[in-house]
Amino acid sequence: MPDTSTGVVVIGGGSTGAGVLRDLTLRGIDAILVEKGDLASGTTGRSHGLLHSGGRYCVNDEQAAIECVQEGRILRRIARSAVEDTGGYFVSVTEEDHAWEPRFVEGCRRTGITCERISVDEARRREPALSKHVRTVFWVPEDGHLDPFYLVVGNVESARRRGARVMTHTEVSGFLREGDRLTGVRIRDSKTGEEGTIACQSVINATGAWAGLVARLLGVEVKVVPVKGTMVVLSRRLAHAAINRCHKPGDGDIVVPGLSVSILGTTSAKVPHPETLPIEWDEVRRMIEEGAMMLDGVTTARAMRAYAGVRPLYDLGAEAEGREMSRNFAVIDHQERDGIKGFTSIVGGKVTTFRLMAERVVDVAARHLGVSTPCTTAEVPLNDRDEPLDQLRHRPSVLGVPKPHGEEPPLQPLLCECELVRPQDVAPWFKDPAVRDLEDVRRRTRSGMGPCQAAICSYRLAARLVTDRGVDGPTATRAMADFLETRWRGVRHVFWGSQLRNMQVTTGLHMELYNVDRQLMLDPVAGASPSPVAAEGQGGGTAPEPAQVAGQR
Amino acid sequence: MKTDVAVIGTGLAALAAARTVQQSGRRVVLVWPGLSSLYFLYATVDVIGYPTATAADPIAHPAQAVARLIAQEPSHPYARAGMKAVEAGIALMLEWFKEAGLAWEGTLDRNFLLPTATGTPKPCCLAPASMTAGDLSRPDPIVLCGFTGYQDFAPEFAAANLARQWRTAEVSAVRITAPGYGPDRHFTSIDLARSFEDAAFRDAVAAQLRERVTSQGARVGIPGVLGLTNPSESFAAFQRAVGHPVFEIPTVPPSVIALRLFDRLRKHLQEAGIEIIWAAPAHAADVTDGRCRNVLLKAAGHELPVEAESYVVALEDWVDGAFRAGVHTVRDPFFHQPIAWSNVPTDRTAESLFATQPFEQVGYALTERLQPADENGTPLARNVFCAGGAMAGYDPSGTKSRGGMAIATGYRAAQEALAA
Amino acid sequence: MITEEFEPTTDTVEEEASVEACTKCTACNTVCPVARSTDIFRGPKALGPDLERFRSPQEAAVTPGLDLCSGCKLCEVTCPSQVSIQEYIRRAQNQGAREKGRSLRDWVLGRTRLLGKLGSMTAPLANFGNSNPLFRVLMERFVGIHRRRPLPKYQWLTFERWFKRHPRPVKPRRKVAYFYGCWVNYNDRRLGERAVAVLERNGIEVIVPRQQCCGIPAVVNSNMDLARRYGQENVRHLTPIVEEMDIVASSTSCGLMLKHDYGHLLDIPGSERVGAKTYDIMEYLWMLHEAGELDLNFETVPMRLLYHAPCHLKSHGIGYPAMRLLKLIPGVKLEEVDEGCCGISGTFGVKVEKYDLSMKIGSRLFEAVKAAGSDQVLADCETCRMQVEHGTGATSAHPLEILARAYGHG
Repeated sequence: MPDTSTGVVVIGGGSTGAGVLRDLTLRGIDAILVEKGDLASGTTGRSHGLLHSGGRYCVNDEQAAIECVQEGRILRRIARSAVEDTGGYFVSVTEEDHAWEPRFVEGCRRTGITCERISVDEARRREPALSKHVRTVFWVPEDGHLDPFYLVVGNVESARRRGARVMTHTEVSGFLREGDRLTGVRIRDSKTGEEGTIACQSVINATGAWAGLVARLLGVEVKVVPVKGTMVVLSRRLAHAAINRCHKPGDGDIVVPGLSVSILGTTSAKVPHPETLPIEWDEVRRMIEEGAMMLDGVTTARAMRAYAGVRPLYDLGAEAEGREMSRNFAVIDHQERDGIKGFTSIVGGKVTTFRLMAERVVDVAARHLGVSTPCTTAEVPLNDRDEPLDQLRHRPSVLGVPKPHGEEPPLQPLLCECELVRPQDVAPWFKDPAVRDLEDVRRRTRSGMGPCQAAICSYRLAARLVTDRGVDGPTATRAMADFLETRWRGVRHVFWGSQLRNMQVTTGLHMELYNVDRQLMLDPVAGASPSPVAAEGQGGGTAPEPAQVAGQR
Repeated sequence: MKTDVAVIGTGLAALAAARTVQQSGRRVVLVWPGLSSLYFLYATVDVIGYPTATAADPIAHPAQAVARLIAQEPSHPYARAGMKAVEAGIALMLEWFKEAGLAWEGTLDRNFLLPTATGTPKPCCLAPASMTAGDLSRPDPIVLCGFTGYQDFAPEFAAANLARQWRTAEVSAVRITAPGYGPDRHFTSIDLARSFEDAAFRDAVAAQLRERVTSQGARVGIPGVLGLTNPSESFAAFQRAVGHPVFEIPTVPPSVIALRLFDRLRKHLQEAGIEIIWAAPAHAADVTDGRCRNVLLKAAGHELPVEAESYVVALEDWVDGAFRAGVHTVRDPFFHQPIAWSNVPTDRTAESLFATQPFEQVGYALTERLQPADENGTPLARNVFCAGGAMAGYDPSGTKSRGGMAIATGYRAAQEALAA
Repeated sequence: MITEEFEPTTDTVEEEASVEACTKCTACNTVCPVARSTDIFRGPKALGPDLERFRSPQEAAVTPGLDLCSGCKLCEVTCPSQVSIQEYIRRAQNQGAREKGRSLRDWVLGRTRLLGKLGSMTAPLANFGNSNPLFRVLMERFVGIHRRRPLPKYQWLTFERWFKRHPRPVKPRRKVAYFYGCWVNYNDRRLGERAVAVLERNGIEVIVPRQQCCGIPAVVNSNMDLARRYGQENVRHLTPIVEEMDIVASSTSCGLMLKHDYGHLLDIPGSERVGAKTYDIMEYLWMLHEAGELDLNFETVPMRLLYHAPCHLKSHGIGYPAMRLLKLIPGVKLEEVDEGCCGISGTFGVKVEKYDLSMKIGSRLFEAVKAAGSDQVLADCETCRMQVEHGTGATSAHPLEILARAYGHG
C-alpha cells in the first residue's frame, strides 16, 4: 500500500475514535483513522445500546451520572439519527430493590436526572409487558437507545465530508520515532497483509479495551482491564422503553429496545484479552431469567442471538471488581507521563460520553500541535443539518405508499426484508473503500440483523460484491459464507425454538439450493479469513490472533 | 373423520405417502398444516449428490450410490426405507408427475449436474424439463441471464463462479430488462412468473436475448420464472422465441419452480377426491393398548379427531414442527415424549454452519417397519409410521439427498401403514 | 427464581400463534389472492410478521396499504409455522383507524345487523334503491360502495320472526342452537328454513337463542371494539346454551368468529367454551353421519354441481364436510372448483376502490366455473355465493340446500 501522511493518526474506530476524528476535523486538523477491524466492531458495536440517563450511576458514581445527563442532552441535539427517545423505567421487583429506591431518588435529584414515580397500573398501561413482580416504577425520560453503528458511522462520515480519511481492516503494527518524538505509524492491512506507513505529527490512541496492547508497542504501560459483558438479543421489542432494575447495578438488569429488537444484558467478567470473549450458557440463561423478572414474555420470546462485548475499564489504581471501577475516563498525555512526544491515549469511559472524551483528548493533542480552535462537536449536528429521526417508527415509511390503481406504484423494493433495508440503502456502501466485507455492510445498514439472520439477503449482498465491486466469484462466495458464519456464531448460543427452526431455512437455502458448501471446497479463496475462533461457546479458550474479533453482534 | 390411512405432513414425503395410499385404492386423508417452509428445496428431486457430507466429487449414478450407502450405513434413512422403496418411490412419483401434467425428467441411473444461483454445479436426480438443458455434461456454451432490478438471481455472480469450475465451454452473463420491472419497483419471482405467461411480455424479453446471445450453439440460463400456472406452455413458447435452448435456475423463496410442483400435486389429489385438511395441525396421538385410536388436530375452536387404521407422520423437518426444541429438551409433538436432551444449546450445533449439525441427527428411534419406538425398540404405537425429517439421522443437506429421502421414506412408511 | 428450564412457546402450536414463529419462508405470499392480483400490496409476510417488529402501541399502523388485506386468511392456512398473520394485519389496521378515524362507509359496513334491520323494515324500498342506478351512483359517491356491486335483497319477514311461529318438533332426540347470522335473518330466510328442516328431519330440535351480529363486518371495517361488544353479547347469551347443547352456524365466517376469533383476536372471556361447542352446520351433519345418526333416506337429486370452498372454511380446519355429505346423495355429480379466493371477501369487494381488485382476484374462479358448466355452484359462504353469481351468471346455493332437496324440500 502507498505510504501517506497526515496531521494526526487516530487509532481505533469505535465511538471514541470516531468522535476524535470528527473533533479534529472540525478544528481544521488533518487526520486519518486507522481501525484494525471495522468501524464499531469493538466495544461500541457490542455495547448494550443504552443512551444512559445516568440513573444507573447516580447512587454510586455521581460524576459519571452527571456526565451522562449532559452528554445525553447534547447527543439528542446533534446525533438525532442515532438516538431513539424511548425513555426508561426503573422498576423494583424485590424487597431489596425496594430498599434501594430512596437512594435512587436522592441520587437522581442530586445529579439532575428527571425521575418521576408513576403507579404500576399506569406503567402497565404504557408497557403491558411489565411483569407481575414489578412493585414500584420510576419513569426516567432521558434513558434512550443509542444505536452504536449509526453513531460511529455518523461521526466518521461527518469527518470524511471535511476531508478526513478512514482505513478499516488496517492494524497499527508499530510506530515510527525520531528520538522521543513519534513521527508516524506502521500499518498492515488485516485482509491482504500489505504493509505501509503513515507519517504524522501526533497519534491519538482511542482503542479502548485495546489501549494497553497498542501502548505496549511503544513500550509504555496503559493499564486497561478488559471486562466482558454478554448480551442476549430477542427478536422483537417486548417493551418500548428501556427497562432498568432499580437496585445496585448487577447482572442482567437492563432490557434495551434496540430498534426492532430487545437486548437483555449484561454480565461482568474480567478476561485476559479483549478478544477472548467466550459466551457461557450460564450467562445466557441468567440474562433471560433476570429479564423475566422485569418483563413478561422474556422466557417465551424468540431469542435471536447472543453476543459478548468488552468494557475498557481503566484501573485508576485500586484493584476492584469490574463494575466497581469507575466508568470515568482519563486522558493520558504520554509526553508528560512517559516522555513520548506526539502520543496521547484516552481510556475508560462509555459510549454515552464519547463526545466528551473525544473533546478532552483532542484538547490535549491540539494544544501540543499548537491549534487553539475550540471544540464545536456539541453544536454541529452529525449530519450537518437538522435531520428527522431515522429510527424505528420511521423505517416503515420508506416502504412507499401504494397508490390507487392505474398510477405508478412506488412500493420500494427491499433487499433485507426483516430489517426493511432497500437496495438503495445498501448501494452507496459498496462504493466505499472502507467497506471490505459483508459484515461491514451489515453494520452500516442493518442487513442481516433480523430474525432470519441473513438467510435471504446474503445472496443479494454477495451478488453486489460482484456487480458493484467487481469482486471475483470465489471471493464473493467466501464473503457470503463468512457473513453467515458470523451470524451463526451468535445464534448457536440460543439454539432452540423458532430460531433453531429458522436456521434450517438458512442451511437448506445455502447448502441445498446454492450448494455453497461445495462451492467453497471447489474454489477456496487464497488467504481467506481464518476459521472461527475457538473461544466462542462453552468454556474459555486461548487468546486468538489479533486479526480475529470474536462474538460479533 | 374416519379413513384408512391418515398422512400428516408438509413436504414431498407426505405427498409421496398420500399418493402411495391412493394408488392402493384405500382411503387416505392428508392433514396438511401448510406448505412446507422448505418447499423451495424441491425445485429438483435430489436423491444423492455426494457420498458423504464432505466428499468433493459429485455422484454420477445415484442408484448405485444409494445401494452403497445402504450397505455401509444400516441406520441411514435410505437403509431404513430400503432400496425397493427408493426405486418404487421414484417410479411412483415420476408417473404421478406425468399424470398430473408436470414435465419432469430424470432416472435413478444418472444425476444431472445443474448450475445453481451461485453458479455451482449441483447433482440432481429428477428435474423439471425446463431445467435440464442446463446440464453441465453438455458441451454447449452458457449465457446466464438476469433482469434489471431482480435481486434473486445475479448472472454475474453465477458466471463468475461457474466459469472457473466448468471449463468445457464459455460462460458469460447478461442482464436485460423485463418490461415494466426495474430497480425502483418491488416485485417477486411470482410476479415475473405471471408476466411470463403473457405472450407479448415473453416476446419482448426474448427479443433482447436474441440480440445479446450471439453464439450459435449457446444455451441460456434464466431464473426460474417461466410461468406459474401453465409453465410448459410458457417455457416452450419462450424457448422458441429465444431461438436457443433455455434452462431455468431455481431461486430463493418465493420459489416458482417448487410452487408449480406442490400446487399441481396437491390439486391433483383433490381432483381425485382425496380430502386435504388445511390449517389443523396434528398435536396429539390418542394411544391405547399400543394402538393409535385417533390423532387430534387443532382445528378452529375444538379438536378434530381423525380416526384411521394407520397413520403416517411425515412432517418435513424441524422447520415444520416435526419436533419442538425447548432450551434443553426436544419433545415430539404427537406422543409428547422427550426425544433428546442437551446440556447446553451449543451442543446441538457444530462450530461451522456448513458442517454436519448434531441437531439434524435427532429423531425418532425406529423399528424395522419405520414405527417410532422407545429406547427398547417397542413401537410407541403399532399403527403409526414415520417418514421425513422426524426420523433419526435424517440429514440430507451435506449429501444433497432431500427429495430422494423424502420419497423413499414416504413411500415405505405408507406401504407399512397399508400393511398394518 | 424462574423455572429451571423455560420452554419457548414460539415453538408450539398450542399457544397463540406468535409472530415470532415466522421463518420467513414466504409461503404466505405465494397464496395471497390480493398480492397476486395487484402490485400495490406488499403481501402478508411484509405487512404481518415483518412489519410487526416495527410497530409500537403508540404507532401501530405505520404502513399504508393495510386496508388492502381482504381478510381471507389463506396466509394463515398456508403458514407452516401457524403464525396468525392476518390477525396482526387486522390489529394494525384497527389501530390505524383508532388513530386516524373511521370513514362513514366503514361505520356503515361494520354494522350489518343495523343495516339488516333498516333494510328489512323498509324492504321493498331498500331493494328498489339498491338496484336503482341513480341511487347507486349516489351511494357510490357518498358512501363509497361500488355502483356495480349487486347488493343483497332484504326480506320483510326475518328469520327470527319466522322461527317464532315455527312449530316445535315432537319428541326430538336432541337439541341444537342455530346461530343464523345476519344474512339468513335479513336476506335469505329460506336458507334458515332449510337448515331447520334438515336438522328436524334428523330428529333435532332447533333452538334459536338471542344473538347479535357475529361481528366480522366490524372487525374487517376497522372496528374491533364494536366487534368485541357484539362478541361479548353473543358469549353472554350462548354460555348458558352450550351447557345443554351444541351450536351450529350456516355461515362459515360467523362460525369462524365464534370458534376462533372471539378468543384469539378479540380476547373475549368465556368465548373458548362457546367456541368449543360451535360447529359449521355441514360439519355437524357429518358428525351425525359418522355416529350413524344421519337420515340417509335421500331422494335422488340429479344435479351437476360445482363446489367452491370458501377461504374461511379452510381456516376452520375441518376439511370440506359439505363435499363428503353431498357425495352421499344419489344422483349428485359433484366436483370441486379450486381456484382460490372468489375475491369478494365479505365487505371488501363491495367498496368502490376494491371492487375491481375483487373481480380480478375472482377472475380465475369465474373462468373455471364458466368452463365447467353446472346446474349450480355451491359455497357455504353467502358473500362467495353473491360473488360467483355476479361474476359468472351461474346460480349459487349453500350446500345445505341440496341436502334439503334430498329430503324433499324442493
